[in-house]
Amino acid sequence: MNVLVDPDRCCSSGLCVLAVPSVFEQDEDCVVRLADARPPQDTHQRVREAARRCPGRAITVLEDGVSRHTLMEE
Amino acid sequence: MTETPCPYPFRRAAALDPPEELRTLRDEPVVPATLPSGDVAWLVTRYEDIRTLLCHPHVSRNIMRPGAARMSKNNMMFQDSKMDPDPPAHTRLRRLVMKAFTATRVENLRPHVQKVADELVDGMIAAGPPADLNTALSFPMTIRIICELLGVPVEDRDRFRGWTDAFLSVSKFGREEIGRAMGELNGYMADLIKEKRERPRDDLISALIGVRDTEDGRLSEYELHWWSRLLLLVGYETTAAQLSASVAVLLTHPDQAKKLREDPGLVPQAVEELLRLKLLGSSLSMLRYVTEDIEIGGRTIPKGTSVIPVIESANVDASVIDRPDEFDVGRGEAHHLTFSVGPHFCVGAALARLQLQMAIETLLRRLPELRLTVSPAELRRNEGALMEGLLEVPVAW
Repeated sequence: MNVLVDPDRCCSSGLCVLAVPSVFEQDEDCVVRLADARPPQDTHQRVREAARRCPGRAITVLEDGVSRHTLMEE
Repeated sequence: MTETPCPYPFRRAAALDPPEELRTLRDEPVVPATLPSGDVAWLVTRYEDIRTLLCHPHVSRNIMRPGAARMSKNNMMFQDSKMDPDPPAHTRLRRLVMKAFTATRVENLRPHVQKVADELVDGMIAAGPPADLNTALSFPMTIRIICELLGVPVEDRDRFRGWTDAFLSVSKFGREEIGRAMGELNGYMADLIKEKRERPRDDLISALIGVRDTEDGRLSEYELHWWSRLLLLVGYETTAAQLSASVAVLLTHPDQAKKLREDPGLVPQAVEELLRLKLLGSSLSMLRYVTEDIEIGGRTIPKGTSVIPVIESANVDASVIDRPDEFDVGRGEAHHLTFSVGPHFCVGAALARLQLQMAIETLLRRLPELRLTVSPAELRRNEGALMEGLLEVPVAW
């Protein structure tokens, strides 16, 4: 799994950081930043959940085997 | 689309009942409505469309434009020609404030919020029944928490509560009264900022003064005052009203309250379910303005249209939630947009959630016999106020 974040969409709720602190961080302006763009298997479910719950829709999850190109076309 | 606009906000037959209109509203993706100001806006009715709308770059929160619908005849609520309410300017300022309210920061307040909830319930027990939940718990708790966070003296509550009532008035107060209240609040906050500038404390207003005084362009003096006032005005009323209404709903659904008493681990999801019911007011304050033609639910909404995402409708949209009309604290996940989404997602969401969870858990645990002393039909809402909170929630135990 690859994770992408869009700082421009981030509304700094911090929900992702609380859910998966090993993957998401906040910079000094509380904007989302990745601690791990290719997180380990045991975090995947929580990362998907964080992406779905993100109130700014700032998190994109790219599952292995799904090309970025396909995802962008959706 | 029906051509005759319906009146919005919708009325409720009884204080805790959802408006009848919500049953059929989603038959159409957009519906025209007349607002309390007399102006017309389009209601956007479905969950996915509302998510799209609230994250759309061509949908603006700046409604101080010629031709834009107004919420109220007398009150410009949340609007200030010197403050740009859209990204990127708004986002830059919001982030300064957001630091104090992130989920992690708020989580650290948990022991303190528990202490405040316990003290207030101690007070209820000491005074003995009956009590009004608003005055015994909901307002004292939320006012104390926001005052401590901002660094506003809690003793001044009677003064700023009056200003808040004026600020959040749709039709309760006249233009002059609102203007006078805002003037008094401006003076009060200016004095407080002056005092904190001389003697900074460990609080958000002092922190914002610090940012302002670095003169690096992140925050102007005007913006400092504006945000300090806004955070006080919107920092407690919504949570207090939601708490009182949530408890009223639980007490009128004894089976659900019983589930929570038996398994307090369900409280966080019960709070989400209670948020989903959208117990407060309408979505009038979500009024937006469309700056370029956009596509919503297969319809073109033309540039220059005013729109309202109807959150209370999204929250009962059967396409995202099963049995939407049922109140079920055991629902695994209650999808709701009560805190909005996108660039205006509620800054206080985590703080509100924490307070709601702790207050409800504490009340149910410590007052197992808690009950309403009036019938639900006798509960009254604060009509003409933006939140339309319950005027009183009389309880005994």
